[in-house]
Amino acid sequence: MSLIQAENLTKVYGTGNTAVVALDHVQLTVNPGDFVAVMGPSGCGKSTLLHLLGGLDRPTEGAVSIDGQALAAMSDDAVTELRRRKIGFVFQFFNLIPILTSIENASLPLLLDGKNAADIKQKAVELLTKVGLGQRLDSRPNQLSAGQQQRVAIARALITEPILVLADEPTGNLDTRSSDEIVDLLKQVAKAWGRAVVMVTHDPRIAAYADRIIFLKDGKIVNDAHLEAKRTDNAEMVSHMMRTIA
Amino acid sequence: MKFQLTLAARYLSGRKLRTFLTTLAIVIGVMIIFGMGIYLPSFMDAFNKSLLSASGQTDVMITLKTGEAFSASSTLNRIKRIKGIETIAGSLERTINLPPDFYGKDSPVSALTLTGVDPSVAPKLHDYRLTQGRFLERGDGKVAVISERLADEIGLHVDDTLKLPTPEGVVKLTIVGLVPGRTLIGNEQVLVTLTEAQKLFDMSGRISVIEANLTSQDEAERDAIINTIKTQLGDTYAFGGLTSGSEFAGAMQLGQVVFNMFGVFALAMGGFIIFNTFRTIVAERRNDIGMLRAVGASRKTILSLVLTEGLVQGIVGTAIGLGLGYLLGVAMIAGAGSITKSLMNIEMEVVVEPLLIVVSITLGVGVTLFASLLPAWNASRVTPMEVLRPSSGQVIQHISRLATIVGVVMIGMAIAGLLTGVFAFVALGGVMFLIGLVLVAPALVKPIANIFGALLAMIFARGGTSLLAEGNLTRQPARAAITASATMIGLAIIVGAGGMMFSTVGTVMDMFGKSMGSDFLLIPPSVAVWKGDVGASATLKARINAVPGVGVVSSLRYAQSTLPPSAQTGSKGETVVSVLGINPVEFPQISSMDFRQGNAQDAFNALAANDRNVIVNGILATAANLNVGDVIPLVTPTGIKNYRIVAIGGEVLSMKINTAYISQASMKSDFRKSEDIFYQVNLAPGADPSTVEQRLSKVVENYPQFRLVAGHDYTAEFRQQYNAIFGGFYVLLALLAFPSLIAILNTLAIGVIERTREIGMLRAIGATRRQVWKTIVAEALLLASLGTAFGIFAGLYLSYVFVQGMSASGIFKVAYTFPLAGVLAAIAVGLLFGVLAALLPARQAASMEIVQALRYE
Repeated sequence: MSLIQAENLTKVYGTGNTAVVALDHVQLTVNPGDFVAVMGPSGCGKSTLLHLLGGLDRPTEGAVSIDGQALAAMSDDAVTELRRRKIGFVFQFFNLIPILTSIENASLPLLLDGKNAADIKQKAVELLTKVGLGQRLDSRPNQLSAGQQQRVAIARALITEPILVLADEPTGNLDTRSSDEIVDLLKQVAKAWGRAVVMVTHDPRIAAYADRIIFLKDGKIVNDAHLEAKRTDNAEMVSHMMRTIA
Repeated sequence: MKFQLTLAARYLSGRKLRTFLTTLAIVIGVMIIFGMGIYLPSFMDAFNKSLLSASGQTDVMITLKTGEAFSASSTLNRIKRIKGIETIAGSLERTINLPPDFYGKDSPVSALTLTGVDPSVAPKLHDYRLTQGRFLERGDGKVAVISERLADEIGLHVDDTLKLPTPEGVVKLTIVGLVPGRTLIGNEQVLVTLTEAQKLFDMSGRISVIEANLTSQDEAERDAIINTIKTQLGDTYAFGGLTSGSEFAGAMQLGQVVFNMFGVFALAMGGFIIFNTFRTIVAERRNDIGMLRAVGASRKTILSLVLTEGLVQGIVGTAIGLGLGYLLGVAMIAGAGSITKSLMNIEMEVVVEPLLIVVSITLGVGVTLFASLLPAWNASRVTPMEVLRPSSGQVIQHISRLATIVGVVMIGMAIAGLLTGVFAFVALGGVMFLIGLVLVAPALVKPIANIFGALLAMIFARGGTSLLAEGNLTRQPARAAITASATMIGLAIIVGAGGMMFSTVGTVMDMFGKSMGSDFLLIPPSVAVWKGDVGASATLKARINAVPGVGVVSSLRYAQSTLPPSAQTGSKGETVVSVLGINPVEFPQISSMDFRQGNAQDAFNALAANDRNVIVNGILATAANLNVGDVIPLVTPTGIKNYRIVAIGGEVLSMKINTAYISQASMKSDFRKSEDIFYQVNLAPGADPSTVEQRLSKVVENYPQFRLVAGHDYTAEFRQQYNAIFGGFYVLLALLAFPSLIAILNTLAIGVIERTREIGMLRAIGATRRQVWKTIVAEALLLASLGTAFGIFAGLYLSYVFVQGMSASGIFKVAYTFPLAGVLAAIAVGLLFGVLAALLPARQAASMEIVQALRYE
């Protein structure tokens, strides 16, 4: 069974003359260990797709199942719990809480889940060390570089051991070096830890790290490409595809 | 919960200034309620202690309901043979207010209770447990047994001489024995023989208390015996302890109501400010909240997160408020101590009632939680989408038409309430007016902002910045109105209290000038609450009259009485009345009264006619629903006597207390009182004041219970005391306006946060930093003008309500004085706060980096 099962996924904003179809009958499946990049021109529905997959928004038509659970049939609280336990989010602007330290920020989902404080701390330290922040455990966001902040955000996304990580332009705010490190980390999450990672990005170089790229245009999937292992070739191919689609 | 607490604590400590100012609002509210709640009951407690001198240690204690002395032969002899009475004795008990420093400088003794007892019977009723010397014996003259504590305090021993002021001048008593200090409340006791007490106070054959022990211990039998005594004596007598001061308690309770109202206003303002602050917080943290929701925080978690923050602030604010309130209460007791001591001879101790603590905590924490409820709910509605794609804030806010209509109706009802002149409606109207104004405020934001905006454009914010500021304000009228409301309440209290103060002081000083306008006054230790004052016999008045240069002398005499329960007023209990005896010929020559019904000439003539005629003051007339021509039954030591009301009027001495003025002749025949307790002296034409003053001070030398002062000095002294009381009060109220600063600051801060991109755009298309700065300051000034305009409007209404309420409650009639100083202070404070509050957000907006601001979502 697929981890993500999206059928006829449609999202329309507004009504009547002002209605905008952001997503138009999209079919999508994602399996554990998949590292999927979602690409497309501005306004093609990338972010909308991510929101619907993460249960942040409800579709106008169609259905999403995560790990066999149909989101449409679940209450707001149940979807919230699903997000908390099974999905990790990584955002473009990191969205760390400025008043909390790295450990505390990374621990948030477990704290919200009411888990044992000592266990949470141990786990957060472990994860932060894994993402290379072993020395910055007690720093606050304003004491960290952008790349470091995004690592904290990734640690936060992973702390619940989610089956799915959704990343919305995770490198959009980072320099080239930090971008590479972050996307490498996400790839590791998919490959070494067996999680599914769905990442929205504009950057063909970043998308080339994925093993599957979904191209969206006007709310529809226009290409669903599986990539070769060699990244440099992929980047060129992705750029080419983007140009073709545009 | 620990998670919520951690986050709340971090957020609060992250914004220290805001947390401080927001909490301050709660601190001040709780401080006023708690501080005043300590002060007033402490005052009442002290007041009661000083007057409650008789304590029921015996099976039966009988006094005249009025507390006055009565004839021994007509009472004691009638009941002493009743079966079941084991021991019975009459005693004459009298509180003696002492002049300051009577027993040496800084002596702690301000009043004594002198008790004349029957030496052969008293030891059977009370266990006196002598510690030194002997007890009184039949035939003893000027000797006394006093308490050990009193002896210690004034440094006297057995065989020493104790001085006492009496109507015949100072007498000296030899101390023959010491008894332990009394364990019950009241003053220290001086015991003399009954005969001697009657002689000292010129009350031959009179007693004030009958005490008895009964033979039976059985409840039913004892009740039967007491009932027999009651039937014998009639209903002018009270069984049990004395009740005292109830006339004054009413006035004090009103004071407490007024102070509580201020406290509630302060808390209401605190509520507005907290509400406003939490709205700001939620707006600022939309992103954080969205992220928390995205990573799995439920709505309930977000709700409890914001509420926890409110709770923490509420608890901390309340705790500090309680602490400061306690200090305020103690400081007021210390500060007011000298005034109450000099005016009423009362010493206060701090009293904290448990209920007060509960009420203060409930209000402090409750208001904070209540105010954070709506913002918390709004926060819980923030969608996780917010973190990914922040929605731009609502561009134009709509005004609730329903709220406006309800507000207008409430204001209308408040004005109608004011016109009725009924105290309850007037007071209720004050609260309704404020709520009405808060509801109408959003609709008024635009027109008022237009007016002030045009004004501002001319003098401060040229080049379109004023237009921007005005636009910014009017697109969120509800938010602007909430801010203005917080400022409004703060300033309304300043203006309102200012109006009340000016009107009261003006009226009182006017009355004071009329009543106390004589050249010289002889003042007892306690003015207005006369009960414990020791006066002087007619000898003193004769001696004053004989002083060369003295023109007219007028004296007051005092007795206490009650009006029985009346169907006319629906009053179930007895109404306590202070009866003042005046000489109707001399009094009008030297003093004057304000008459509400009747006139001076007819009234004083009627009193001089030697019938039972009476002038009652306004409070009594209102309380008992009396009119000229009514006949009132006054309880006297010689039975109930019917007096006919010839006028309704009063003067400054009877301002706060139920008072009836009768002729001194009636007072002597019905109340058996001929002791003068207060004198006013006018000079003869052409006499030299300083020479006469010297002569007068010689005459009163032997009457230390009186203080000789020149009339104008006393007026000045009185004015000073009044100003001191109100001055402190005023500072306290000004503090109330302070937290409104945070309200303006918050609103501006939200505006700047929400408009970050707009500000970036303005800067991008060529607005200078200075222009951005000016826009925010102009917005602040507009907000402050709104709040100030509302505040002054509401304050003027409130001050009028206070004055009307005061008159309607019958306390005394106050003439309204326009609080010009209060209005000017409010304008200055309002505008200053506006600029102060703008500084931070304006700097923040002006220093924004254009690119970052444009990218901000």
